[in-house]
Amino acid sequence: MPDNDPDKVWPTGLTLREAEEVHSYLIDGTRVFGAIALLAHILVAVTTPWLG
Amino acid sequence: MFDYRSFALRRVARIAPHYLPFADVASPEVPLSRLLRLSLFQVTVGMALVLLVGTLNRVMIVELRVPASLVAVMLSLPLVFAPFRALIGHRSDTHRSALGIRRLPYIFRGTMLQFGGFAVMPFALLVLSGFAEAADAPKWLGHGSAALAFLLVGAGLHMVQTVGLALATDLVPEADQPKVVGLMYVMMLTGMIASALVFGWLLQVYTPQRLIQVIQGAAVVTVVLNGIAMWKQEARDRQRGSSTAPRPPFRAAWAAFAARPGAVGLLAVVGLGTAGFGMADVLLEPYGGQILGMTVGETTRLTAVLAGGSLAGFTLASIVLNRGADPLRMAGLGALAGVPAFLAIAAAAAGGSVALFVAATLLAGFGAGLFGHGTLTATMRTAPREQAGLALGAWGAVGATAAGIALAAGGVIRDIALRLEGGDAALPYTTVFGIEALLLVLALAAILPVRRKLFDPARRRAISAGQALPPGPRPVAGAGAPAAGA
Repeated sequence: MPDNDPDKVWPTGLTLREAEEVHSYLIDGTRVFGAIALLAHILVAVTTPWLG
Repeated sequence: MFDYRSFALRRVARIAPHYLPFADVASPEVPLSRLLRLSLFQVTVGMALVLLVGTLNRVMIVELRVPASLVAVMLSLPLVFAPFRALIGHRSDTHRSALGIRRLPYIFRGTMLQFGGFAVMPFALLVLSGFAEAADAPKWLGHGSAALAFLLVGAGLHMVQTVGLALATDLVPEADQPKVVGLMYVMMLTGMIASALVFGWLLQVYTPQRLIQVIQGAAVVTVVLNGIAMWKQEARDRQRGSSTAPRPPFRAAWAAFAARPGAVGLLAVVGLGTAGFGMADVLLEPYGGQILGMTVGETTRLTAVLAGGSLAGFTLASIVLNRGADPLRMAGLGALAGVPAFLAIAAAAAGGSVALFVAATLLAGFGAGLFGHGTLTATMRTAPREQAGLALGAWGAVGATAAGIALAAGGVIRDIALRLEGGDAALPYTTVFGIEALLLVLALAAILPVRRKLFDPARRRAISAGQALPPGPRPVAGAGAPAAGA
């Protein structure tokens, strides 16, 4: 694994495509968890409304 | 000037493998501790099944006062995804990833779906039951969100189990597959038994708050255990990752899979046998209580007797298959044991013999264990290694769908017979048990030609020498009850 491989992204040592793939999992997870949290909040607000 | 960049790269390169969730060095020998850790995903699958079929089934009807028919519909929703197991398995077989992984992305997504479903579920159930202010909420909100929660859990469950089993089979050589099948199945049963006890203990005194804590706790446990299970399990394959060949479409892969002699016949055997064994799962307890006059405690233990029989069957099958026995012969013996077992269960009504009933239930469980292990091992052994996920998915899809349909059909047949025959209380049950025995006889009849096609020594040699199957270790195994989606 040569240190000067132009494909490697600093500082992780992943290639650009690998880094993008890891990033896509992060994005996917954030989206799913965000949607779940939103839905859960709506349902809780329906059951036991807060702020009036 | 000091080269920070190369210094940092070198440092990272040295420590990174420690912290990366992939097994960069895949050793041919996979220690048992690693397989046990991997099998934790089966524990979470078992936990989810118990929560859906056992705990929530009761809580929704008794504590939340949701109509029983609505509960039945909600609980059967996860079954919708069972046929997609084959598709998920195929997609993981051919997944393109720059990281060179193919099973982990699907297990990650499946875990997220399962977590998301459990995270929303308690609130959805409270809205569904009209708790507190939700009494004024529109009906569609409760129905829709509860359905969504069950769908998410079901989709996640099938995804995690199918791809997790495929990963397990990737890890071991063919000779060890029966062992892995047994191990994974035992871990799922362990997860089911343990979580049933824990849920029962936690929900002794039901409060809405406790329900939220239990279900969301299950969500967190799912993510944590699946995370531990997946850590450093999958070897990275950069060559596969950088391949630019087009992914074979599912249709073509399925055609190739189904074109092998005996492949479709084997799936038919799985469907018939699983339906035969699974039809009475929910009828055994009411049968014991209503017809044989057993107490609630006794009928609850009946489930343990059935599971214990299955466990014994699986253990025996593991040992014998490990010595190189023919898996289809094993499956045939299992179905053969099931026929007299169900006839004896039906006959128990005439004599009113509880002892005969319990013994026959044990035998039925034992037969189901042999049959399940035998068909799964046969499916995996005859599938090409690069189609391990598809083969596991097909087995699971057929099994789970057949078990679910059989379960529903068993209830419907019982109810229809109940209405037609006012006089004899036992007849509706014995009708179902008779149909089970008949299905098992059909499965037996279907096994014979399949076995001739697949395991005839001369023909098998011709297959492995000639077409399709590459040399070297072939498939695989993993396990889970085909009833997983029921």
